[in-house]
Amino acid sequence: MTGVPLAFYIGLSAAMFLIGMLGVMIRRNPLLLLLAVELMLNSANVALVGFSRHWDDSAGQIFALVVMVVAAAEVVIGLGLVVATFRQRIELDVDQLSTLKG
Amino acid sequence: MGERITFAIAAATALVCSIAVISVRDAFRAAVALIGALLSVAVIFVLLSAPFVAMIQVVVYAGAIVVLFLFVIAYLGERRTVGAPDRLARWQFLSWVAVLTLGALAVIAFFNSDLAGFRDDPRPTGNIGDPDAIGAAFLDRYLIPFEVTSLVLLVAAVGAVLLARRAVQREGGR
Amino acid sequence: MATTLGWIILALPLLGCLALALFPRHGEPPKGPVIAIGVGSILIAFVLSAVVFASMLAEDPSERLHVDSLYEWIDIGGVSVDLAIRIDTLSMMMMLIITGVGFLIHLYSVEYMDHDRDYRRFFAEMNFFVFSMLLLVMAENFVFLIVGWGFVGIASYLLIGYYYQQADAVRSAKKAFVMNVIGDVGMVLAAFLLVRELGTLDYSEVFARAGELGPESGTALAVCLLLFVGAAAKSGQMPLHSWLPDAMTGPTPVSALIHAATMVTAGVYLIVRCYTLFDLSSLAGDTVAVVGMVTLFLAATVALMQVDIKRVLAWSTVSQIGYMVMAAGLGLYASAMFHLMTHAFFKATLFLAAGAVIHALGGEQSLDRMGGLRRHLRVAYFAMGAGCLAIAGFPGFSGFFSKDEILAYSLAAGTLGTIGYVVGTVAALLTAIYMFRLLFRAFFGPDPDGGYAHAPHPSRWWMAVPLSILAVLAVVGGWIQVPFGWHLIDDWLAPALVGAPEISPSHTQEVVSLIIGSIVAVAGIAIAWYLFGADRERRLRLAGVAAGPRRVLEDGYELDEIYDEALIGTTRDLGDALTRDFEPKGAGGIISAPVAIVRGSARVLRAAESGLVRTYAFALIAGVGAAGIVIVLAVVR
Repeated sequence: MTGVPLAFYIGLSAAMFLIGMLGVMIRRNPLLLLLAVELMLNSANVALVGFSRHWDDSAGQIFALVVMVVAAAEVVIGLGLVVATFRQRIELDVDQLSTLKG
Repeated sequence: MGERITFAIAAATALVCSIAVISVRDAFRAAVALIGALLSVAVIFVLLSAPFVAMIQVVVYAGAIVVLFLFVIAYLGERRTVGAPDRLARWQFLSWVAVLTLGALAVIAFFNSDLAGFRDDPRPTGNIGDPDAIGAAFLDRYLIPFEVTSLVLLVAAVGAVLLARRAVQREGGR
Repeated sequence: MATTLGWIILALPLLGCLALALFPRHGEPPKGPVIAIGVGSILIAFVLSAVVFASMLAEDPSERLHVDSLYEWIDIGGVSVDLAIRIDTLSMMMMLIITGVGFLIHLYSVEYMDHDRDYRRFFAEMNFFVFSMLLLVMAENFVFLIVGWGFVGIASYLLIGYYYQQADAVRSAKKAFVMNVIGDVGMVLAAFLLVRELGTLDYSEVFARAGELGPESGTALAVCLLLFVGAAAKSGQMPLHSWLPDAMTGPTPVSALIHAATMVTAGVYLIVRCYTLFDLSSLAGDTVAVVGMVTLFLAATVALMQVDIKRVLAWSTVSQIGYMVMAAGLGLYASAMFHLMTHAFFKATLFLAAGAVIHALGGEQSLDRMGGLRRHLRVAYFAMGAGCLAIAGFPGFSGFFSKDEILAYSLAAGTLGTIGYVVGTVAALLTAIYMFRLLFRAFFGPDPDGGYAHAPHPSRWWMAVPLSILAVLAVVGGWIQVPFGWHLIDDWLAPALVGAPEISPSHTQEVVSLIIGSIVAVAGIAIAWYLFGADRERRLRLAGVAAGPRRVLEDGYELDEIYDEALIGTTRDLGDALTRDFEPKGAGGIISAPVAIVRGSARVLRAAESGLVRTYAFALIAGVGAAGIVIVLAVVR
């Protein structure tokens, strides 16, 4: 075997996803939380592109590009929210942002 | 052979950087670690015959998104994460449980998967990763997703403007 | 022709009532028209009844039955009920009594109620009563019997509570009505049974097919007992009797008409009318007879102790009706009706005479404050005397013949009848004693201490004439049916009582009864004279004897208190317990349980909406994990 089987790429994707998920659950600073989310998105991209090569179809890469665009949009809004909360003199702690309670 | 070595290095770097992202206290360092992870993933993309995607990853993701992060981190100042005790501290172990469970699931899935060619050498591919192939696909088969994503960007831009304006007003500006 | 007149007779009092009630709408009309309409309607009704009677006399006895239906009222499920009247010898007799005695009492009321503000209301209500009573006796089916029954109850309520500003009048009216309703329930249940068994409520059909209920069957017993519950309530038999003495809160003419002559006799009429049903069940008949016996005796003992002149007469009524009920229970239907008639005469006389006394004394009703009235009120004295002699059964007076008839025939009616004879004879002695006690205390002896507040003024002709007429009837009314002589009542009622068992006493029994009856009457008068009339000192001395038992008797054996404790108190306690305990938890609980469930579940579900992003993240991941497990397991299998 000279190449790298698909399994390894998917494995890498799964590992990065799980690490990102752990980060989402642990982190309280919203900025760091968003970074973890980016990790998860990236892992998804890896899986997409990997399968794209497996099936010899460019659809996966197209999808990965779209995911990147969406990630960008989401980051913009997310950071905007973080800045806005900062302006309100609220602590940067997602646990404090619980006005939607109940 | 070369592929394997490259993959091994890139994958290791990605994993190390990911772990750094979620574990480092300092936001700035976490963002930098993310850059490292993203660059490793770009290498992976190249290995997967997706050069265009790799390029976009570097330019957009690592170059724009993370930079945006860095701007905000700089604006907000060096903030330690908060002094208030973690309300959900006792449930942290649940996170570990979840991760381990899903990890176990993934392993089981791997070894039981009968997807054709899952564990074999990759087959040779065509030129699916070339920029013109991607461009043609966007304008041909995947025109609608292309247009929709532009809408998404528009929405994000409008949202950003709104958030910024309110913030300005709150600050006692105009 | 008879039935056409019958409809007119029935309608006249009703029209009188409506005319008086509706015109004029406001203010009091002058007395002239009120008297003309109120009394006139009954007078015309009586005259027409007499005409019908005369025409019936001219007929052959077997033809003395006229039924007429005005229209078909309802027809449901095979049961058809018409607005129909029946004029046979039995109802004719009742009609004459009702309109005749009724007219005399209406006439009397013209003067008695003269000072009353609500003159018009009185006559309207009295007319309504006469109409209801006529409907009751003229009905051809059980439905209109019960309708008339109910109307009579309403009329009684209105008239007992006539002085509605007085709390005790209102209370008595309610009491009378409630006890009557108990009777109504019994009658309605009996009607239901008849519908279920026979499918009809017309007299002619029911009585012809009564045998289908099964002789001595449970159904026949049930029907008879339920009907008797109604009769007992209306006629004041124990244990549903205590409304009658309290009903004396009404004006005296009301007491005379309703609670002496007519309404309370409706129960007796009912039993006699349904004789075919009662003949089916000997147990029912025996029960009726026993109730009558107990009532007549106990009521007589209570009457002995009463101080209010009207209450003496009220308890006396309860006792005398006990005689009638006992007779009816033993199968002596004609005897019961005979006594009903003579009782109407002499009891009305007694009440109207008492009313004359009360009217003359400006409202005084207590025997303790009466005395020597024979010097002041001669007409009332003679009338009262006649009535007392009659009710005591003094030989020659009406009561003598009718009471003897019941007692003598009871002797011939088996063991139960013999017991009835003994009880009735002892009670007759008591009757004589208590009635003459009343006469001697009120009319004899000196004026009461301190004299009279009002100088007693005798009545004018409005009151004197009816009183006198009734007194005369009380004297001679019994000569219609004389033992060893002629039996006009028996003959008259025979067509209506076809198939009833023929019970007559033997010669010996009749003679024995006559002699003992006479002795008892005279002895009673003598004892009463000794105790209450002759020597005032002796009476006052004896008044202190045995105060405890006297009080129990005076209170009517405290039955009212027993009812209050047992029935009303229990119900009230039950109500309180339900309100206090059951309702908040039970009925309230049924409402509040779902509320609590909803609230509780909402609280649980709200925990998921903590507002904390990370819990949402946890939840998401948990969900994904679960889904993943499911998928993997599915694949691996």
